[in-house]
Amino acid sequence: MASALLELRGIAKFYGHRCVFRAVDLVVARGTVQLLTGANGAGKSTLMRLMAGLQRPNAGSCACHAAEGRVAYLGHATFLYPGLTALENLAFWKKAQGSRLTEADLMALLERVGLERHAHERAGIFSRGMAQRLNLARALLVAPELLLLDEPGTGLDSRAAVMLREEIVQARQRGAGIVWISHDVAADAPFADKVLTLEQGRLHEGGQGAATP
Amino acid sequence: MMRAVLAIARKDLTLTLARGGGLVQALLLGLLLLFMFSLSQEVGERMSPQGAAAIFWLASAFCQVLIFNALYGLEEVHGARQGLALLPCPVQAVWIGKALAGLALLLLAQTLFVPATVIFLGQDMSGEWWWALAVLLLADLGMALLGSLLGALSQGQAAKESILSIVLFPLLAPLLLAGIRVGAGLFAGRTAEGVTQWIGVAAAFDALFAAAGLVLFAYIYPGEE
Repeated sequence: MASALLELRGIAKFYGHRCVFRAVDLVVARGTVQLLTGANGAGKSTLMRLMAGLQRPNAGSCACHAAEGRVAYLGHATFLYPGLTALENLAFWKKAQGSRLTEADLMALLERVGLERHAHERAGIFSRGMAQRLNLARALLVAPELLLLDEPGTGLDSRAAVMLREEIVQARQRGAGIVWISHDVAADAPFADKVLTLEQGRLHEGGQGAATP
Repeated sequence: MMRAVLAIARKDLTLTLARGGGLVQALLLGLLLLFMFSLSQEVGERMSPQGAAAIFWLASAFCQVLIFNALYGLEEVHGARQGLALLPCPVQAVWIGKALAGLALLLLAQTLFVPATVIFLGQDMSGEWWWALAVLLLADLGMALLGSLLGALSQGQAAKESILSIVLFPLLAPLLLAGIRVGAGLFAGRTAEGVTQWIGVAAAFDALFAAAGLVLFAYIYPGEE
């Protein structure tokens, strides 16, 4: 069994008196992809933010065993500065995260997400899809051990969606543990080891994915 | 942590100086204040050095508030605050980085406010300028440290955060007082009385604000929305 990167035990989250979810247990192992699904408002993004450390649970424990700085979170917000170019945005996050990547590495990363021709354009003029590609490049900056993806396909065209799935497969092959929120289960489940459904405040295992070891 | 501090400060300066975000309004407000007070004098009348120094520091204080609101506003556009909260370093790196950027911008603004004070308010700088410069740097440092805290608070929506801003703002008073007293000496062509004590006061409040920022910042600038 691959070693655990993230362990959630008995997690509960309340907003006031409203229970978002409770008694959630989840282990994310190295080299696995867990697809998280559920209806709108089920609490998927809240659970993801708890995993990232952006929110605290009301009960339970959340233990992250990934190396410091090797956790990447791609949420609904793109974390981009509209006044900086695509390259400057990546350079800022690279420096702030203490990464040793060179400018050539950053350009290669932009090429991977199909933004090399827009490297010197300001992020403020990017479409939602382009901003999401740049957001993905930002998440990949640290060669993450734990990759938390909250609806990463938002705004992406079909080519970019294929590129996203390829990046997820490659990250899994490198040994990263991935939690991936998606509403397109039929399309994304083949790339996952496990499908989880958050429903009525409980996390159920919704079936085995089809990803090959 | 220092890499993150310098990256944040550099990014803020790039966005503010090269892309014009927020600094112009702060400069205009300060210059407008100095100009408006100049209208209160008769033609050829010279404002008292004490009054001129007070107006200079008032302009600097308002400018500081706008600068830090603008600096912290940069993170609110696309949720970059969450990204900063996830950096593999203490969140205080954000406070220090923004304090550094704010200090540089405040000093830049004051390079315009000083000649504007001399011209609009009829002052000359015949006093011992090195004392005034020492107090200006210490007062600016304290204003940047506290301003960085206030800027973080100003992004919060909760009423308790607004109240905290009101409580914290008067803490600038000792720094402003030191700046006014020593600045008045500069404009009056003499060394201000008790200048070393004022330097001591400014340095002590700098240390207090630095300690308060290190302790409080993590509570007032969480990654949570």
